Amino acid sequence: MSTNQWLATGNFNTAYQQEQRNFLTHLDRSIFSIFLILLYVWIPLMDLSNKYMLVVDNILIAIVAVMGLNLVTGFAGLISIGHAAFVGIGAYTVASFCQVIGDRHIIITHFWPVMIVISGFVGAAFGAVVGLPALRLKHLYLAIATLSFQMIFQWVINFMSFFNQGQTIFVGRVFWFTGKVGRKDHYMFWYFVILTIVVILGFGIRNLLKTKYGRCLVAVRDNDRAADAMGMNPGLTKVYAFALAGFFAGVAGALHAYVYRGVGFESFTLHESVGYLAMAIVGGLGTLNGSFWGPTALKYLDLQVEHLSEVAGQYLPSTMNLSTAMKPFTFGLVIVLFLMFEPRGIANWWRIAKSYTKLWPFRY
Amino acid sequence: MKTKTTLLFNALLVLAVVFAFSASAWAGKVYKIGFSGAITGPTSDAGNPLSKGIEDWFKYVNDTKMLGDDKIEYIIRDDQYKTDVTKRNFEEYLDEGIVFYLNYSTGSTLGLKRDFEEEEMPVAPSSYHEGNLVDSNYIFIPVATYSENVVALAEYVKNNHKGAGNPKVAMFIHPSAFGRGPLEDTKKAVEAGLAIDIVEVVEHGKDLDNSAMLKRLMSKGVQYVICHTVQSPVATMLKDAKRLGVQAASFGEAGKLTFLGAHYTGGSDLIALAPGACEGFLWTCSYNLTSEGNAKAKKQLDLAKKYGRDDKAANSHNYAAGILQAQIPTMAIIAAQKAGMEVNPENLYKMLQKMSGDKAFDSFATVGPVSYSNIDRIGVDLVNIYEVKGEQFKAISSIESEFMKKVRARMK
Repeated sequence: MSTNQWLATGNFNTAYQQEQRNFLTHLDRSIFSIFLILLYVWIPLMDLSNKYMLVVDNILIAIVAVMGLNLVTGFAGLISIGHAAFVGIGAYTVASFCQVIGDRHIIITHFWPVMIVISGFVGAAFGAVVGLPALRLKHLYLAIATLSFQMIFQWVINFMSFFNQGQTIFVGRVFWFTGKVGRKDHYMFWYFVILTIVVILGFGIRNLLKTKYGRCLVAVRDNDRAADAMGMNPGLTKVYAFALAGFFAGVAGALHAYVYRGVGFESFTLHESVGYLAMAIVGGLGTLNGSFWGPTALKYLDLQVEHLSEVAGQYLPSTMNLSTAMKPFTFGLVIVLFLMFEPRGIANWWRIAKSYTKLWPFRY
Repeated sequence: MKTKTTLLFNALLVLAVVFAFSASAWAGKVYKIGFSGAITGPTSDAGNPLSKGIEDWFKYVNDTKMLGDDKIEYIIRDDQYKTDVTKRNFEEYLDEGIVFYLNYSTGSTLGLKRDFEEEEMPVAPSSYHEGNLVDSNYIFIPVATYSENVVALAEYVKNNHKGAGNPKVAMFIHPSAFGRGPLEDTKKAVEAGLAIDIVEVVEHGKDLDNSAMLKRLMSKGVQYVICHTVQSPVATMLKDAKRLGVQAASFGEAGKLTFLGAHYTGGSDLIALAPGACEGFLWTCSYNLTSEGNAKAKKQLDLAKKYGRDDKAANSHNYAAGILQAQIPTMAIIAAQKAGMEVNPENLYKMLQKMSGDKAFDSFATVGPVSYSNIDRIGVDLVNIYEVKGEQFKAISSIESEFMKKVRARMK
């Protein structure tokens, strides 16, 4: 080992464990720590309005969901077109509790961390069940199976009176050690909660990928027969990939229910599923940091297009329909451009940027 | 000399500053009102002309100095029929300091109900869903609810049916809570004594052909089809009925089907979608239509002309709905001004609660007066029944649903 632990240059790993570290240099660790601290302090310092706090919360929720999708589609190579339905399972788990015990029950308002975990496990259970066809199906056929789950989910929610036929089911305000989280602090409070969950789950995925279970996911994606020949269990791997994705989606759904203080069917449609898939592609399939880039980029783009079409609408009142075209157009265009010119997503730009600094201070 | 010039200059400067500050005080107050609705995306065929109605009315209020020196600053945002976006828009409006909020869809109105309660923000939605009034105090529905429209149609059928026994009715509804809510209220009206037989309930899908369904209804002896959905499925059904020759030539013709529909099923868009096939279609609506050619209609057309709207928007009952939605806070502001009260959400809420009797207002957009009280949060109770005659909707009757009152009384 080199004596200088701050730079990658000159450091050679001599043991397998050294390669498995989360941070290869002190510099990596320091930059990450500073970045994390900044994430926790910038919101109180910036004093964002509720509107933008909601946007930020929404991005973080999408990150949780896309991390799950990246596990199943990016790392395990199993296409899922029904991810919004899994998110919906999580949200409707909270909603079901609200329907049965009341939305202001102590379990909903005080034991919300437990509710979030339960929602995750319910999502995982559904994920495992939906993952069963993956034992026999591949590629497009598996995609259709997940699409079917999306359709079944939509139908059940829309028709069952227990789920209010898709209309909003309210979720009560939560309590923290300081008391009830009121309207003023609502989005700020959930920002810290979701950010903490993102950090925990992010490290969870990073560490999972270093275990044999994580490596199984990648091996099955690359060639499931070869993986089988090497003693792995592709069937089990596929099922737990779906279960893990379902867990992440379930957590995201529960967070959605709490942030919006209600659950309505329209947040979990096929359109949303396609949106999650687009986020994963734009961010970079099969990369952890892609799960952060994709939702941030697309949600930000969405907001900016909305502003742009609004400004254009002010100058051209008769073209109020401009945003009808602009939003889907930009969304579609971004996906096509990424697929054509950067199929590895924004994560690849990050990789290139990092590789420049890896050899510093040497040029080559 | 130099000192005198400097003094004069300074005095003028001070005067200018004082004048500038007082001028802004004399300029009157600005009241912010926000609207979030589906200007694009699903249901924008209704939301787009509606938003134009809102915009034009507020422009008119400011241009004609209806509030004296005070002005309304209206903020219109497109939510594309997504409750998430509506919530974001509402949060933004709260940050902006709105005094009144205009909402659009049923889903978002129900979804934000708790927020309205917490913020004590008076709201006029474009959704006339009966459920908006449950567990809420701040939602003021502009006109008769969807349930009132559907039950009124059922009452009309009962009162005008000429055959023996109860009229046999099929309900053709939207596959959502929007469609099912009024159906449930109609069933409750039947339980309360409304003598009709609901033979079948059809939750339509995206069928391009309704022949099988129409033949099935005929085989079951159905004579009346009451629709509560949007225009396009009704247009498809009417065209199929005409092709099959099962459309009644006059109301209640034996052995044929008479079609009726509530609020979003009719209007000029239906005629455009099913030209020649909607003759005799009966439709309930609380808005005055421009096809009536009366003085009220002229005012609506004049407003649209003043702000350069095309014929389609000008003649749309959704444009009228937008006008009324904007008139509600305007009248509340005027009432607050007259009472010498500060214009804020709290006082506008109080003013709306007193908007009954001689304080009710007549709108050129509606068929009846708009009134609210502390126990009544539905503006116009009256609905007109229109019939398509010569490719135009013409009023044939007005009705205020009696059975809906009974249903509400039972629910209490």
